[in-house]
Amino acid sequence: MTSADAVPGPEQGGYGVGIGWRPEIAGFVAELPGLRFVEVIAESIPAAGLPPGLAELRRRGVAVIPHGVRLSLGGADPVEPARVRQFARAAELLDAPLASEHIAFVRAGGIEAGHLLPLPRTREAVDAVVGNVARVRAELSVPLALEPIAAIFDWPDDELDEADFLTEILDRTGALLLLDVANVYANARNRGADPLDLLDRLPLERVGYVHVAGGAANDGIYHDTHTDPVPPEVLDLVAELCARHRPPALLLERDGHFPPAAVLRAELDAIAAAAGYPTVT
Amino acid sequence: MDVLTTQAATWGVPGPIFLTLYLTTAGLVLLGTLLHRLVGFAGRRPSGAEPPHPIPLAWLAGGDRLAVHATLGGLRAAGAVGATPQRRLDRTGPLPVPATPMEAAVHQAAAQGVPGRSLGNDPQVLVALAGLRDGLVRSGLAPPPSARSIARLGPVLLLALVAVGLVRLFAGVAGGQPVGYLGLSLLVLGPTAVVLLGAVPRRTRAANALLRDLRRQHQHLAPRQSPAYATYGAAGAALGIALFGTAALVAFDPAFAAEAEVQRAMSGSAVGGSGWSSGGGSGGADSSGCGGGSGGGCGGGCGGGCGG
Repeated sequence: MTSADAVPGPEQGGYGVGIGWRPEIAGFVAELPGLRFVEVIAESIPAAGLPPGLAELRRRGVAVIPHGVRLSLGGADPVEPARVRQFARAAELLDAPLASEHIAFVRAGGIEAGHLLPLPRTREAVDAVVGNVARVRAELSVPLALEPIAAIFDWPDDELDEADFLTEILDRTGALLLLDVANVYANARNRGADPLDLLDRLPLERVGYVHVAGGAANDGIYHDTHTDPVPPEVLDLVAELCARHRPPALLLERDGHFPPAAVLRAELDAIAAAAGYPTVT
Repeated sequence: MDVLTTQAATWGVPGPIFLTLYLTTAGLVLLGTLLHRLVGFAGRRPSGAEPPHPIPLAWLAGGDRLAVHATLGGLRAAGAVGATPQRRLDRTGPLPVPATPMEAAVHQAAAQGVPGRSLGNDPQVLVALAGLRDGLVRSGLAPPPSARSIARLGPVLLLALVAVGLVRLFAGVAGGQPVGYLGLSLLVLGPTAVVLLGAVPRRTRAANALLRDLRRQHQHLAPRQSPAYATYGAAGAALGIALFGTAALVAFDPAFAAEAEVQRAMSGSAVGGSGWSSGGGSGGADSSGCGGGSGGGCGGGCGGGCGG
């Protein structure tokens, strides 16, 4: 596989705006008339088959992208073969156009961190990610998109900056980029940097799809919570990104504290407006 | 030998003849009862594409009590009712428009500070519940009261037969006659009669099918999916309670459920906490044995402690 594994989507016009499928809002997602794609946590797909809500979306022709959170691609140890098999199996069950995971580690030395931890931006870390991505792609029958995570701190031994680190990983793995605009905003804001600087240095033509999420500031630090409204600054960044190179798909990630349906619909519409895609509501 | 047997036969009727007559009668009564249940409880599906309102659905699924809880849940989700720490209901907002008679009655009762526990005995709520039942009978989802009375006739006759059989059994034992087959028959007939008497369906088979379909269609509202009730709104909350029971109200707003004493009500309910949520079994029978204390492990002792 090469970096040409792009995913433009329905009739090459792109998938447009989607939403993270969660059991809590399955009934809401099912009633979005213009929906072309959703994302689902890969580890939540039972080996026995799809949850009924997802199966119904597939019957409607809605694409479902499995999004892994437990592979630990950035771990120093090789990815666990059983987890890779489950991840690949989820993509097959969903007949997914692509799958995604994080550039992060969730366990080290047999200890589970329980959440995604950032890697030091070193050549050694790049090597570890490249090796693990190769192991995953050997099993996976669809393109893989990699998502950098929000980090509220930098490791002291960083050798590369964010853009170089990501570009090198993408170049060496041939993977697509899952760009989280809310993370870009959070990282820039917490470091006092301009988020556009990073956008301008990333290979935007390699973006498989984009995450958009809400967050909240607490004690001066902006947290990418996924449980708060999407701030206007993040929507502005979506517009800036799309003005440079519009990605084929943008996804609203909401993981909890779900608002009334009208509020969620308004967020989806706002993302569509910022990106210039048709509304799905 | 022949003469001896005849003389000693209980009530002058030889055992085999009695048993034949007895079992034939019981069989006919049983057959009639089952035929009546087959025909009299078929019902019919509402013709419109629109599914019934959540509150009548709740009545079908769990009787008066669940209908009251679904109403309460819908009004709660709409911000129209609350409960005080003194466990009395409270009106916290205007009645949503349009409102069903049940919603109007519960809202009115809340405004009067009726305790959540006695909401089902409130005169206005009772009137609204009667209207609800009538509507369901007219639409073919609930059997008419007459059908339920007739359905009890068969089991009562069977119980009478069991009583006759018991007397014969004791008389036979006293007279030294063999009573094995009669005893065996009574062991089968007695429990059958009791079960049939207890399990007179509250809803028709059309209603069973309707509930089954709607539960499948609205699986996302089942408490095990942790539904986002804020997203689904008042109608979603009421429908969740209707289809998946009071557990959905407890999941939706545990503090309110505790203060409105919904959990305590549940333990005494004819609705098993888990029995109907699985949608299985003979469903809808309001037998007293169906729910006594089996309310999903939330018996009388935990009413106060579950809300936190």
